[in-house]
Amino acid sequence: MRGVLRPRINGQALTTLAVLGIVGFLVLLPMVFLVEESLNVGDPMAFPPVEFGFANYVSIFKEDFKTVWNTVVIAVMATVMAILIGFTLAWILTRTNVPGREKLERLMELPYYMTPLVGALAWAVIAGPKSGFINQLWKAVGGTGDIADIYTHFGIAWVMALFEGTVAFVMISASMKSMDPALEESARVMGASKLRTTLTVTLPLVMPGVLGAMLFVFAEMLGSFAAALVLGIPGRIYVITTAIWDSTLAYPPDYGRASAMGLSLFVVMFGMLTFYRRVIARGSFATITGKAFRPRPMDMGRLAWVLFSVCALYVALAVVFPIAALLMTSLQRFATVLLHQAQWTLANYEIALSLGPVRTALFNSIMLGLGVATVGVAIMSVLVWIIYRSNLRGRGAIEYLVMFPQAVPRLVFGLALLWAWLNIPVGLYGTLWLLALAYFTVMLPLGVRTLAGVVLQIDKSLEECARVCGASWGYQMRTVTLPLLKPGILAAWLLIFMACVRELGASAFLMGPNAKVIAPSIVNAFATSGTELTAAMALIQTFTVIVALIILFRVARGMTKELQ
Amino acid sequence: MSVTRIEVKDLVVRYGDQVAVNGVSFTVGRGEHLTLLGPSGCGKTTTLRAVAGLEQPSGGRISIDGQTMYDSSQRKNVQTEQRGVSMVFQSYAVWPHMSVFDNVAYGLRVRKLGADEIKANVERALDLVQMRHLADRGASKLSGGQQQRVALARAIAFSPTVVLFDEPLSNLDAKLRAEMRVELRELQRRLGITSVYVTHDQEEALAISDRVIVMNVGVIEQIGTPEEIYNKPRSRFVADFVGSANLIKGKPVGEGLFAVEGGPTLKVMAPHKPHGNESEVAVRTAYIDLEPRSGDNHVPGKVRQRLFHGDFVQYVIDSAVGALIVRRPPVNLLAEGAPVTLSFSPEHCVLLEA
Repeated sequence: MRGVLRPRINGQALTTLAVLGIVGFLVLLPMVFLVEESLNVGDPMAFPPVEFGFANYVSIFKEDFKTVWNTVVIAVMATVMAILIGFTLAWILTRTNVPGREKLERLMELPYYMTPLVGALAWAVIAGPKSGFINQLWKAVGGTGDIADIYTHFGIAWVMALFEGTVAFVMISASMKSMDPALEESARVMGASKLRTTLTVTLPLVMPGVLGAMLFVFAEMLGSFAAALVLGIPGRIYVITTAIWDSTLAYPPDYGRASAMGLSLFVVMFGMLTFYRRVIARGSFATITGKAFRPRPMDMGRLAWVLFSVCALYVALAVVFPIAALLMTSLQRFATVLLHQAQWTLANYEIALSLGPVRTALFNSIMLGLGVATVGVAIMSVLVWIIYRSNLRGRGAIEYLVMFPQAVPRLVFGLALLWAWLNIPVGLYGTLWLLALAYFTVMLPLGVRTLAGVVLQIDKSLEECARVCGASWGYQMRTVTLPLLKPGILAAWLLIFMACVRELGASAFLMGPNAKVIAPSIVNAFATSGTELTAAMALIQTFTVIVALIILFRVARGMTKELQ
Repeated sequence: MSVTRIEVKDLVVRYGDQVAVNGVSFTVGRGEHLTLLGPSGCGKTTTLRAVAGLEQPSGGRISIDGQTMYDSSQRKNVQTEQRGVSMVFQSYAVWPHMSVFDNVAYGLRVRKLGADEIKANVERALDLVQMRHLADRGASKLSGGQQQRVALARAIAFSPTVVLFDEPLSNLDAKLRAEMRVELRELQRRLGITSVYVTHDQEEALAISDRVIVMNVGVIEQIGTPEEIYNKPRSRFVADFVGSANLIKGKPVGEGLFAVEGGPTLKVMAPHKPHGNESEVAVRTAYIDLEPRSGDNHVPGKVRQRLFHGDFVQYVIDSAVGALIVRRPPVNLLAEGAPVTLSFSPEHCVLLEA
């Protein structure tokens, strides 16, 4: 044989150990501090606590019963609406010949990119009592009183369903797409009508997917924060998340009570997600074959246009109206939908951009997004490789740790980190570094899942072949794995960047006077100054994300081209 | 016997509770072409991957060129990239983000050869598979057959002494497969490489191997030259899996004699030392004549069914030893219902191990 193969140090085992340690420290340690604090029944400000007991938990069911009730009612309403919307849209877009199907399908993602915070602000403008656009119009045509009030249980649930319920559509349409059309066709061949086929074959096969989506969405809704914060506080409708937020703002801040509520919420959500995994893992019926089919769409005749309007209505309610309302508001001195009364101005944007704190917050958010996405994706790529490709011991534990933050509501995780770094004698609290650390940790599941999707598509033998050719692990990663991962890495980078710039839950607790970020600043503006300024800020944030995305998509297209 | 290149001893590979390979031992001589043959799940690919170091065995020993690569008693396991073997993968594993040239040059670059040397070696390898004109093409723009050739060129470019083949032809269509079979055999002889080849296609195994190992449920059923495997199957599994054979039930009655259940006594051949508890003989469908020859076993029968396949004719014949399948050249066709005398020599009537 020509050439020499030098022996090399086995870097894998060392890497795994280091990774396990660091991820464990980031993910689990804050939770430990949270548990300790939730049992603190003495001085709520004592670090570390000296008296322990269960009083904080007991009080959830005594003093905060109303909050628990609100949470459940709103989550149930939001879940029902999200599933109804998701199922209808999924059915229309995967099983019928609705015109413009592919374009519509892509539009369905937009509400998710809008974020619940922006959605809630927009709907406050559209359907707020008295000054809301709907009520203004109602009065203009001679009506009395308010016909719309978004500051209600239903209003909160409505916004949650529109902007956080998109996951229901994604999950249900995935289960509809993975169904072998031959299953339906054979029913038709046996002589069943379209309706009978739908009822006896399609529905039973899709049901497990719908149930799974229901569980998942319900868990999400229980931990939802933004909509309840914007729309619940004015009407004094508190849910668990806003109650946690509220009790840390009181004087003295009641961290014990907040921790107990946060942990209870976490336990319930964790239970639901575990149950959801069970449902999915049972591999219910033949629908889940892992194979994607292109289902043969049913010919709906003229009804297709009715179905098209249903989709259009959804896009209007979740994207067009909200953006239009925010745009109108941000361009006026006093928000009105009645055009003859409008006083157009750019002053709100001027103010937003000239206010020092807002500018710094926006700048900080973008820097955090760039930094966390760049460093995070590099680390996550290695993590994904270790979890899904290596045969190292302990990779199961790493996967579990990495996915763990998914089960923790952002807000609760923020609280846990806050408490942890108040106790750890390192001056990280109140700095952007802590925010970066928090963002990285809460983005782990998102990034890892995105990258894993690509890694699992890369045939394992592509890497094995490199090893057989004599390449070390590092050389193989550099020359084969990473170049093949490039499109996935870009996608993960974009998602993490966006999620960072819009992060609210964890930031709410970790933002300090010298480390402001944009999303909590928007919430503050909504609470303290006018809607017009808030709308301008929300649009600036949205616009920033869009511009960043456009630039990156350009770059991405150039980079992926060489792969084809 | 030539120098031993690869030695596998008592190899055991487990996946959790499942035993994929259960005590497999064999050697491969210098320049030898050995094939592991068996149905899917028999452990043949796992064995090959263990030789490459891509699978972690749980017991046994593997050595290549006299150097221990894996030894469970010494707790030694040499990393794949240190073993110096080469491999062609079932999926080809041609890297889509590189050109044909870069793919083939990979192993040479890892070995830090000079640019001129790399170029010369890559071109030589591409010439061997007639792909030199496509050297600059992106690998994702190749057809299946072309990818196959690139994978082959890449595997031989760095002049390895041992090349492992994991079902390399299974994704090609039948005609291309037959062509590549011929080319592979030619290439293997020309370069004098030692190779271990995995396939589930018995025809392929017989055609291109010096020796064949038939595997089933993680153990070796039989090792031998293609002729030995075909003519002297040791077990019912080998007789059934390799080629096509008639199995006749009965019991041995003395030296070279076999009494068929409720039928005549046949003269048979026992490749192994008979134990007396054997219950089956195998007769290849191609070795049965329809006209009596002296010295053969003769069994009267009647044609029940005739299937015309083109290259041969298959008859199902009801006889005193049961319904037998007979394949004959497509000449002198017999009509269904015609009386015949089956004739097969004792050496083709193989007593199977119990």
